[in-house]
Amino acid sequence: MTYGGYETLVVERQGHVGWLIFNRPDQLNAMNNLMRDELADAWLELDRDPQVRVIVHTGNGRAFQTGVDVMEIATDGIGFERYRDSMENFDVHFTAWHQQVWKPVICAVNGICAGGAFHWVADSDIVIAASDAQFFDPHVSVGQVVAIEAIGLIRRMPAEAVMRMAFVGKYERMSAQRAYELGMISQIVDPPERLREEAQQLAETVARNSPTAMRHTKQALWGALEAGLTDACRAGAKHLVAMWGHPDQEEGPAAFAEKREPSWAPLTPPS
Amino acid sequence: MDQRVDIGRFERLEVWRDGHVGWLVFDRPAAHNALDAVMFRELEAAWRALDADPDVRVIVNTGNGPAFQTGLDMVQVARDKEALRAVSRQTRDFELRFTAWQVGVRKPVIAAVNGVCAGGGLHFVADADIVIAASNATFTDPHVSVGQVSAFETIALIRRSPMEPVLRMAFTGRHERMTAARAYQLGICSQVVDPPDNLRAEAAALAEKIARNSPTAMAVTKKALWEALERDLTDACAAGAKDLAIMWGHPDQEEGPAAFAEKREPAWTALDHRLLDAATAREDDR
Repeated sequence: MTYGGYETLVVERQGHVGWLIFNRPDQLNAMNNLMRDELADAWLELDRDPQVRVIVHTGNGRAFQTGVDVMEIATDGIGFERYRDSMENFDVHFTAWHQQVWKPVICAVNGICAGGAFHWVADSDIVIAASDAQFFDPHVSVGQVVAIEAIGLIRRMPAEAVMRMAFVGKYERMSAQRAYELGMISQIVDPPERLREEAQQLAETVARNSPTAMRHTKQALWGALEAGLTDACRAGAKHLVAMWGHPDQEEGPAAFAEKREPSWAPLTPPS
Repeated sequence: MDQRVDIGRFERLEVWRDGHVGWLVFDRPAAHNALDAVMFRELEAAWRALDADPDVRVIVNTGNGPAFQTGLDMVQVARDKEALRAVSRQTRDFELRFTAWQVGVRKPVIAAVNGVCAGGGLHFVADADIVIAASNATFTDPHVSVGQVSAFETIALIRRSPMEPVLRMAFTGRHERMTAARAYQLGICSQVVDPPDNLRAEAAALAEKIARNSPTAMAVTKKALWEALERDLTDACAAGAKDLAIMWGHPDQEEGPAAFAEKREPAWTALDHRLLDAATAREDDR
């Protein structure tokens, strides 16, 4: 099924898998003001839909994402001031992490992933890529600072590779193979046309697990990036304990013993 | 080699010393070394005994049988009401005491992953200093597939591995396993041993290299690096600077260069825990 009302995105559901697809292929999926607003809504719509257990995120056309559409934002008179305000206050709403989506998010990088595109790589849980995907960060080559995306990335992968991308700018591209070696992504799909099929399959695998246990696991692990190790474990203990007594903790072992798929309780609405 | 001296008496573990190398071996092979109530209790005592033994300079942790570790045996633990209460309370308050890090072991710990390492087994990988694996070892985290939350093991793992593969392991659950070769690529382990039967010999060889270094310098190094995981970069370096000073004036700082100049093995002073106890007490005072 397709969720209506989006111009710059395609938002769909296939079984338990929600799809959020950038749909400005002629602009290499660059994020204009409308897309920025629609992303905020789309993440929340997929997060609220009880049928959705896992979200896959990809792009139409030859690019995954190329960051902010500077042309539009700089020329429409209001866009830039709005953008500046939101950044200065770090009051932004275009990634799953910004919107506190606690369902697992798989980012499926389908081609060029440049600059601001790293927001969605850094803020996803699992990242896979087509074999012809290319990663680079041209910010400093056009006189822009890179901060938030790279800050997110150096918490989740070796820092040298992020620094190199930040400083070489548009003059070098990282291959999907190198991204895999570095643990930035966990799977390369070849041929590239099979990316969505593989992403759907991976998402269906993830959807076999307890939605509630995954929500608490995600909250514990992302929360851990905010604290020292011991404090993070103490905070994580709250998420472990939150699951105690939940019906999924009986259902999981019972289904395993009876060699059947577990029938998980639906997620309670986010509080 | 193989001058085995048993340390303590345990039912679910084998604990011994061979030269300067201490061994802590999970010994519940029929249950894939899952932690039952007895092993849960014994681990704290075993780590403490190895850390206290002045002849042990480095500890190797591995398992008997086809598995390395598969985490808590909840069915068995639930039968022992007292153990269940202890596990529940220690989990809730994060006061678990079954890994080297939880117990505060100061000596270097090598995890030698001899087979499947599943779920709570990842604690012993996450909380070790060095990890090596047999070529047939696998890593998987089935928690969410049985309706459990994954937290402590994966929280520690994302500090020492790229995060994405840990999240993938957490969310694919029992439906995927990571190979030893992939764990090596990602830096989760630093050596893959093939054939797998050579794992203990390779672990012993590695441990004997480590045992040639100053036990006190290694203990302070371990303190500085693990405590850095508690802090932001600048604070961690400032704390690390204080750790450097713990070693100043220690006899190993004379012995090291002297032995090097005289082309002989250094005669290190055994680790004196009181030195680090005093440093920790000073930190607590501040």
